[in-house]
Amino acid sequence: MTWAAYILPVLFAAVLILAAVRKVKAYDCFAEGVKGVVPLLTSLFPYIAGVTVLAELFEASGLSAGLRSALSPVFSALGVPEEIAPLFLIKPFSGSGSLSLLGDLLSRYGADSYVGRCASVVYASGETVFYLSAIYFAGAKGKRPALPVLIAFAANFVSAVLGCLFCRIM
Amino acid sequence: MNVVFLAVFLVSVALVVLRDPAAFLPALLTGAGKAVTTCLTLASAYAVWMGFLKIAEAAGVLRGMSRAMRPLSRRLFRTDDDKALEQIAVNLSANFLGMGGAATPAGISAMNLLGVREKNEYSRAMFFAVNCSGVQLLPTTALALRVQAGAQNAYSILLPAYLSELAALLVGMALVMIVYGRKRG
Repeated sequence: MTWAAYILPVLFAAVLILAAVRKVKAYDCFAEGVKGVVPLLTSLFPYIAGVTVLAELFEASGLSAGLRSALSPVFSALGVPEEIAPLFLIKPFSGSGSLSLLGDLLSRYGADSYVGRCASVVYASGETVFYLSAIYFAGAKGKRPALPVLIAFAANFVSAVLGCLFCRIM
Repeated sequence: MNVVFLAVFLVSVALVVLRDPAAFLPALLTGAGKAVTTCLTLASAYAVWMGFLKIAEAAGVLRGMSRAMRPLSRRLFRTDDDKALEQIAVNLSANFLGMGGAATPAGISAMNLLGVREKNEYSRAMFFAVNCSGVQLLPTTALALRVQAGAQNAYSILLPAYLSELAALLVGMALVMIVYGRKRG
């Protein structure tokens, strides 16, 4: 899969050439964009910290192991490694939560392991459905419609299970 | 999330106390330490991407993509509302490029515009389903975390991730068509 390593350099070069052609002040723009990182991280850090602290406590209490073994028949029937069950559970609700879990799983099992790859794919595909629905349907009149949320949830679940399958065969 | 936090925290504390009370504080500190390292990794990844995406935006990449997307989204979302189509296009192209910050405001206003005009349940459900599939050019955050964790082959998740995103998109679209298809608007 060495071809994938070419995507980024080519993409960056193409955009920079386009910027040069259109006489964009590339250096100033880059700095302008990076300026947004600090506010983003300061808004993110508290929630990430909340979840990582909780996740660590969850692990230390043995609850995590208990939940894993309770759910493992379900997940192994679907072909999903039981280690990433927590990621499945938290993904629809919290982006920062699944982010911290992904970091945790990668350092615990290794990024190139089957568990690490599955976790990466499950994290990358789909969205935080319930969180998004709260934002997107908040301004709308009337109640938050349940049907679109259920549809998106089902689609994400199927794709996450399939993602683990793809990881196994690729 | 607040209820979940409280419940999980309290149950965990009770169990930790039963097992080994001395492990309580170290667990909290390890957790917070992980948050710090995760944020540092993210800071470097975001600095690269947000800087680069700003250049792309200034060079008109976002505008070009939005324009290219319009005929397709007109049909997919079954709407002729030009303002809504514009916001949808900005949202989808920003999401595709991994610019969540630019995508969300456009998504919200698209959702409101779709809701204002008529009882456009189909359009809104379809828009939500497409948004939730997480289709993107590169899963930059996952890649950054993988590199940080010492991956030999960080990109090995690309193909499975694309296929999985595609599955989310197709299943979502199909379900919306099945559920809302007959009602038409």
